[in-house]
Amino acid sequence: MDLNTLRKSFEKVGYICDESTLLTVFLALDLQKPILIEGAPGVGKTEMGKVLAEILQTDLIRLQCYEGLDETKALYEWNYQRQLLRIQMNRSLEEEQIHEEDLFSREYLLERPLLRAIQAEKQAVLLIDEVDKCDPEFEAFLFEVLSDFQVSIPELGTISAKHIPVVVLTSNNERELSDGLKRRCLYLYLDFPEAEKEVRIIKAKVPGVADRLSWETARVVSQLRRHEDLRKKPSIAETLDWVRALVALNRSRLDGKLVADTLNLLLKTHADQQYFNKEIGPDGVEKILKSTDDGGDMRRCQ
Amino acid sequence: MEKIPLGRDSHLTDNLATFVELLRCEGLPLGTTELIDALQALERVDLSDRTAFKIALRAALVKSQRDFAAFNRIFDHFFVDFDVYQNRVEQSDKYQQEQQEQISLADRDLQFKGESLQLSDDELKQYSSMTQDERDRLQEFLHKTETGKNVEPRFRPLLENVVKSHLRYCRNRDSEADYNKASGEGDGAGSGSTSTDQNIREKDIEAVRSSEMPSAEHLLQQLSRKLAVKILRRRRVGPRSGALDLRRSIRDNMRFGGVIFNLKRRPKRRSKQQILLLCDVSASMKQYSTFVIHFMMGLQDVVRNLSCFSFAEQVENLTPELKGRSGLQHVLESVVRHSKNWGGGTNLGSSLEELSRKYPDYLNAKTTVIIVSDTRTVSIDRALKALEKLDDRVKRIIWLNPLPIERWPDYRSVNIIASKVEMWPCNTIAQLEEVLTGRL
Repeated sequence: MDLNTLRKSFEKVGYICDESTLLTVFLALDLQKPILIEGAPGVGKTEMGKVLAEILQTDLIRLQCYEGLDETKALYEWNYQRQLLRIQMNRSLEEEQIHEEDLFSREYLLERPLLRAIQAEKQAVLLIDEVDKCDPEFEAFLFEVLSDFQVSIPELGTISAKHIPVVVLTSNNERELSDGLKRRCLYLYLDFPEAEKEVRIIKAKVPGVADRLSWETARVVSQLRRHEDLRKKPSIAETLDWVRALVALNRSRLDGKLVADTLNLLLKTHADQQYFNKEIGPDGVEKILKSTDDGGDMRRCQ
Repeated sequence: MEKIPLGRDSHLTDNLATFVELLRCEGLPLGTTELIDALQALERVDLSDRTAFKIALRAALVKSQRDFAAFNRIFDHFFVDFDVYQNRVEQSDKYQQEQQEQISLADRDLQFKGESLQLSDDELKQYSSMTQDERDRLQEFLHKTETGKNVEPRFRPLLENVVKSHLRYCRNRDSEADYNKASGEGDGAGSGSTSTDQNIREKDIEAVRSSEMPSAEHLLQQLSRKLAVKILRRRRVGPRSGALDLRRSIRDNMRFGGVIFNLKRRPKRRSKQQILLLCDVSASMKQYSTFVIHFMMGLQDVVRNLSCFSFAEQVENLTPELKGRSGLQHVLESVVRHSKNWGGGTNLGSSLEELSRKYPDYLNAKTTVIIVSDTRTVSIDRALKALEKLDDRVKRIIWLNPLPIERWPDYRSVNIIASKVEMWPCNTIAQLEEVLTGRL
């Protein structure tokens, strides 16, 4: 897939991104390297995996990382119940003695996401979500999969990928990932979008939204994100929820009171809502909206 | 699209290797793999498109958002437009020519009995870079020596040594001045040589200015999160506890034909750990007050069961103020201005005794105590005893000392306390980061 096709595909599925993101994803696909995406929660990291699966018309295999995740949950596990039944059946039917290799064959193997991605008949998209939440030991275990696209199962030997999967790793940067893992990936940082880009995202994701409303909401959210004292800045996902709610309320433009009334869709902690009421308030929103009216930026986005 | 086959364009490969070397000097952990990745990435982009060229390199070479600023700065200096490059070459040629002329002039100036002194090009360049006054003085010295009584040609080596020593002295003096100037500029708000975050990271925390506080606060919040993750990470304990793990039991007993002889249990997770933060707010710590407040607030943001105390001559529970806070100003108002401790003398011993007496519920085997203090206290022996008792009650004591590490040997209290509890420097955010990412 060339760069232009990828650009058109992203537009087609409604994932609005800048040239830098597009080119990095293109390089990762072309070089068959995993892509490590970092950024604040809600900027579209996980969505990237889903979108790639949609574009490539293939399966999305997702591995959600958490503390304590190990290879039995990520790679493979033997189906012990079935093995046990086989042993018991063998004994009661008095058949000839069962061999160990019969029990540890593919018939009794439970494939977990990593193995499924490697064994897939068609190139799959493997999304390793929130990799920073897993233990460093598991991170080291991922090295083999991500560098050689093969895994070792003691009873079966080394299994190499039939098709090298498209690997997307996401991280919220809760802890520093090891250099070894980073070395195997191309790196992409997704930041909060500029207002103009957010307008495009809103229009792509919320059909029927009024031009003015999309611009005003993007502008207000963009201004809110500039407040460093907010504990949790509103993400793109929250902007979209907010706009959907406003559309459901049949609103075509914002005002200070409406923002204050629907604030809980945008700011998700009590401290942030208190901060908004104290430092910004409906009057502050009106000022932001007035500056929107004065400038020609909105017309540019239409 | 202009494509290059990998390894064929040795000029580009050489340039890229030099570029990677420069990034390494900035602390980016880059190996040959990254260089190969970068070359492969460049094969796939239009080399005449500067933006695409930059993005491709960044995707392959930069693995953390923190390094973006360094990458951008070096890229913009290293990969320049052809006009700029030509201009630089012309300037370089011109500079070389001027240098040659200056060396010739210096050679002509520095003579003894009609013959040039045996000086290296570097020494002659140093002479050229000196002020007119300094050059005149050196020439005058040579002239006086030359015309003195009983001066013979065999004095030449001696004279050369004197001149060389003087030039060496001037060079050292100039380099020191350059370094100080550069350091001074680094502190300035308009410094463009390094990124703001990097400046703040390396800066003594007492010297962080109010304009840099938002960045410092952000960095401290990130570090607090890391610290919390490190301390609160729940480890597995021995196999004898926890609920029955049927899967592992069956697997382990497969060798007995499925008859379960050995029971396997699920590893039990430890319950959530607690952090108790104890911050010294006495007069000697006043210069670090902003750091202390931000550190407290940063930890508060990420640790749900954080207890926060300040101490000087007595302890004060700040947890309610921090939990109900709404912004830095409020915390400063309630914690600093209304505090009985702020700016007082330090009595670590009595403070720790009071902590154990008044707040016994906070101190148990799940508690990690973080003390932020410069260790300067009265009655060090009493403090030591109280510290030992506290150490017996809690899981771990971590001491973060904001004093510069080179000053630690000057204080007896630092040496004594460091021998009893683990003590780490936190004079700069970079040091704190190093401790948290590696050694702690």
